[in-house]
Amino acid sequence: MLDKMMKSKLFGWIDERTGAEAIIKSQLTEYEVPKNLNYMWNFGSLALLVLVLQIVTGIFLAMYYKPSAALTYGGYTIAFDSVERIMRDVNFGWLLRYMHAVGASAFFVVVYMHIGRGLYYGSFKGPRELLWIIGVVILLIMQGAAFFGYLLPWGQMSFWGATVITNLFGALPVIGEFIQQLLMGGFAVGDPTLNRFFSLHYLFPLLLAAIVGGHVHALHVVHSNNPTGLDVHEGKSTIPFHPYYTVKDAFGVGVFLTIYTYIVFFNPQMGGYFIEVDNYVPANNLQTPAHIAPVWYLTPWYTILRSFESKLLGVLMMGASLAILFVLPFLDRSKVRSARYRPVYKQMVFLFFITVVVLGYCGHSAPTPTLKLIGQLATTYYFAFFLLLPLVNKFEKTKPLPEEI
Amino acid sequence: MTDQADQSRRNFLYVAAGGMGAVAAGAAVVPFLGSMLPAADTLAASKTEFEVSTVEAGQLVVIQWQGKPVFVVNRTQEYLAQVDGHDDMLKDANSEAIEAVSAAWMDTPEKRKYRSIKPEYLIVVASCTHLGCIPLFKPTKGRKDWGDSVPENWPGGWHCPCHGSLYDISARVINGSPAPHNLHLMPYKYLSDTKVLIG
Repeated sequence: MLDKMMKSKLFGWIDERTGAEAIIKSQLTEYEVPKNLNYMWNFGSLALLVLVLQIVTGIFLAMYYKPSAALTYGGYTIAFDSVERIMRDVNFGWLLRYMHAVGASAFFVVVYMHIGRGLYYGSFKGPRELLWIIGVVILLIMQGAAFFGYLLPWGQMSFWGATVITNLFGALPVIGEFIQQLLMGGFAVGDPTLNRFFSLHYLFPLLLAAIVGGHVHALHVVHSNNPTGLDVHEGKSTIPFHPYYTVKDAFGVGVFLTIYTYIVFFNPQMGGYFIEVDNYVPANNLQTPAHIAPVWYLTPWYTILRSFESKLLGVLMMGASLAILFVLPFLDRSKVRSARYRPVYKQMVFLFFITVVVLGYCGHSAPTPTLKLIGQLATTYYFAFFLLLPLVNKFEKTKPLPEEI
Repeated sequence: MTDQADQSRRNFLYVAAGGMGAVAAGAAVVPFLGSMLPAADTLAASKTEFEVSTVEAGQLVVIQWQGKPVFVVNRTQEYLAQVDGHDDMLKDANSEAIEAVSAAWMDTPEKRKYRSIKPEYLIVVASCTHLGCIPLFKPTKGRKDWGDSVPENWPGGWHCPCHGSLYDISARVINGSPAPHNLHLMPYKYLSDTKVLIG
């Protein structure tokens, strides 16, 4: 089909002026991909889909959303009321908002699966170090965008979540107070904070789009890893991206959209995990809710923060827990990539996945002494996983690698 | 492998799958475009009540209906007399050219001339039919009060400051104006003797 279109006169005219044929060939029809990719390799294209969905729904929501903490006659605020107006009065406004809110969680589900796949199959290892590092930058920007976006409905969770996080920066010595005031535009979270968070919430996805472009470009230079982690030889163990993986990705999109639309239409709040119930209470700067927790995708890092008695140490360790991802490619010295052939690493990485889930659970729950201890143990392993990597390959006996995939 | 495939069947599948995808994408456009149409609360604000007795004799008041300006004029006997005698200057003396300048209650030549349910109270949309500016109210006859901004045989009415369109005291457009039509009417009715429901 595509080759027929590429023979048309119109395409020839465009090609002469853009080099479209060379791009399509090098990026799609003659872009070689290992033939043995499993479904874990679907999450990259899904992440791109969700990014597009978030940008499109976000643009339409911004046509009605008003970032102002000014009070209305009803006693609420313009921002809170504008969100409720989107839900009640704007045509399909409920759909757009639920798509956007569920999309935020879906984005993190997909991206965490994508990252987990990279960890398990050693996709972060040479020559893909920079590809991984660009990916970590994307993760950080996503978390920033999600954090900024969460303030916008101006509910209780929005307000107090932003208060807690901006106060974190205040813990840093010397520059802390400066950064805090820079974020808040005042001495507490208020109207100026809401305005700048809206601006940044619009900016960050643009950054994401650009950096995702860099991520894909970097991928197409070093090519995809595969479940065996072996270097592949073009032609023998590869197939062209189009039509083989376009079709497989399209199938993944179908499965994803089935689940996504089910949640959007039938369970958009996901029992308070995707949209917290307390956030339907308008922001009140004089009353903190009984229990505040970030949305699920930020709770692992929230637990790391809470695990330390000293405020400064907690903030630094939370920062370190993300920063350590940047140096992961240089910590792991093993020549073998995939956990399939690394019995010790395989157990370590599975325990790491469980640890992150445990951290997430602890961060979502109200703090108790038991959970605090569990959180501290999990935090310890979180860092131990990374710091043990340079030692592991000294004693790990890897399984024999196959000749060819 | 590809060489043995039945290409016509394969092409059918391509078109069928692509077609379904296109239908789904088309359906997904509905909520997005739909969301840009006026919201329920905007539509709810589409009716306005107004007490015409608050307009003094000879006075013009501009009110809002659906966010648009609306003229309410209390025409004196003198003004009402200015409606006659210049039909040859008008593009559409009987307000028949388009639906927006006409109304169901315009069932007599009198009402077509005065363009209002009660002759003294003219209620029209205050947007020049050329490009939407609000015309200036210049009700008295001749150039005495208005200088050469109006023609010598000025019957009294409105003069649009943007591109010079002229309307008579029944808001009917005068020949030579860039505006194509008389000022539009909007649906309205009298709830009581002096209370009007616009919309």
